[in-house]
Amino acid sequence: MTYKSIGKYIPFFGCMMTTKYPWFEAAVRKTAAKIGMELIDIDGFTCCPDPIYYQARDKMEWYTIAARNISLAEDLGYDLITTCSGCTATLSEVNLALKEDPGLKAKVNERLKKIGREFKGSINVRHAVTVIRDDFGFEQVTKTVTRPLEGLKVAVHYGCHLLKPSRVMRVDDPNHPTILENLLKAIGAEPIHHDKTMLCCGKACMSDAIPEQMIMDILETIKSREADCMGLICPTCFDQFDIRQIILGRKHKKKLDVPIIYYFQLLGLAQGLNTKDVGLQMHKVKADQIFEKVLA
Amino acid sequence: MSSDKQAQTVKKHKLNFAFREKLGTFAEGFRHNYCYQCGACVADCPASNYSKEFNPRLIILKALLGFEDELIKPDSEIWSCTNCYTCSERCPQDVRPVDVIIALKNMCYSEGKAPELIGHISDTVLVTGVTTKITSLSERRRQELGLPPIKGYPVDEIKKIIEAD
Repeated sequence: MTYKSIGKYIPFFGCMMTTKYPWFEAAVRKTAAKIGMELIDIDGFTCCPDPIYYQARDKMEWYTIAARNISLAEDLGYDLITTCSGCTATLSEVNLALKEDPGLKAKVNERLKKIGREFKGSINVRHAVTVIRDDFGFEQVTKTVTRPLEGLKVAVHYGCHLLKPSRVMRVDDPNHPTILENLLKAIGAEPIHHDKTMLCCGKACMSDAIPEQMIMDILETIKSREADCMGLICPTCFDQFDIRQIILGRKHKKKLDVPIIYYFQLLGLAQGLNTKDVGLQMHKVKADQIFEKVLA
Repeated sequence: MSSDKQAQTVKKHKLNFAFREKLGTFAEGFRHNYCYQCGACVADCPASNYSKEFNPRLIILKALLGFEDELIKPDSEIWSCTNCYTCSERCPQDVRPVDVIIALKNMCYSEGKAPELIGHISDTVLVTGVTTKITSLSERRRQELGLPPIKGYPVDEIKKIIEAD
């Protein structure tokens, strides 16, 4: 299979975004088209499967189910692009592990043969933000902006699996990344990098106390920096910081009020979409108000 | 954990080097053998920073010494790992502590000693094809947003390929 041209991609939206947060998917589809990314939808994907629970169950099963998903994209020869950091973690790691280890690839292919499929190792898996930076560039993003989000202070939350493990992801410096800051600057927003920017959302941790303290710490830091919102690129992180912020705020009797916004929603607003087009009214922590100043 | 407490922990257990071979049957379940206990994995570990109980260096040490009863159980400290991979960035020996912890989790699951949630969520994938299920509400929202309908998931194919040979 030859590696095809830049510009066409097979989207892998995963299950959380397609069912629980479909307005994120809508934001990606609408904004990506303006940047020039052609998304080619294909049938037959399943769960990536998730890197927390399924990987903890049985890693060989996890490799196999992921390899089946990747092989569907290989049939067409376009890169698989992800919009969730969980899907990015699973599909990137499995794609590399199988490319690097012929023994493992043979074992997985033995299983895939039962349904007439084969993992070849002929494409890449990339998060949509990486595709924008590498195939289009930040200037191309700016060219699509009709309403720069001037004055909007966005606290950056990287989440873990865009960057780490860096041996697998190969996206940016895992300790001092710049990709999300640059993407925010490209739409006129002001990125706020704080001392908890690189902290995890805690979703995979099965203790109650650890993620609770992490989330409170991150949100209070953002509040102290007077950011208007948190900007992120993963629906699982969103789940942790949006709905859980309400639950924790009640528990600790604290009004945090930090709106959590997916990057492609911000991009959509900068491209002229309205808040309803990108589903901002659906968030638990109300996010519409902060846009009054940029949308005025 | 202080070195005194660590010495006590080590003393009260019998060393079990057969555990290494058993862990080695799981994917990546050998990487702890590269560990020289420098502790570089600890400082930036988010779970360690928010809990005194969690220490990736000690988890690796317990795996090396074969403290099976502490590691292989549903309330083991391994389940507090956040899967963030910061330890893998710091490790000078390429141990990839998260991957060793995942091998330990796989051993727990295979012996029926994982937290119930692991089986519950992963079984959902085998029944529905996904972790987060489609609901009538999500279908309606997709329609309102002008998104294509979800066409269902080939669950039968997943069931066939996860069978061990």
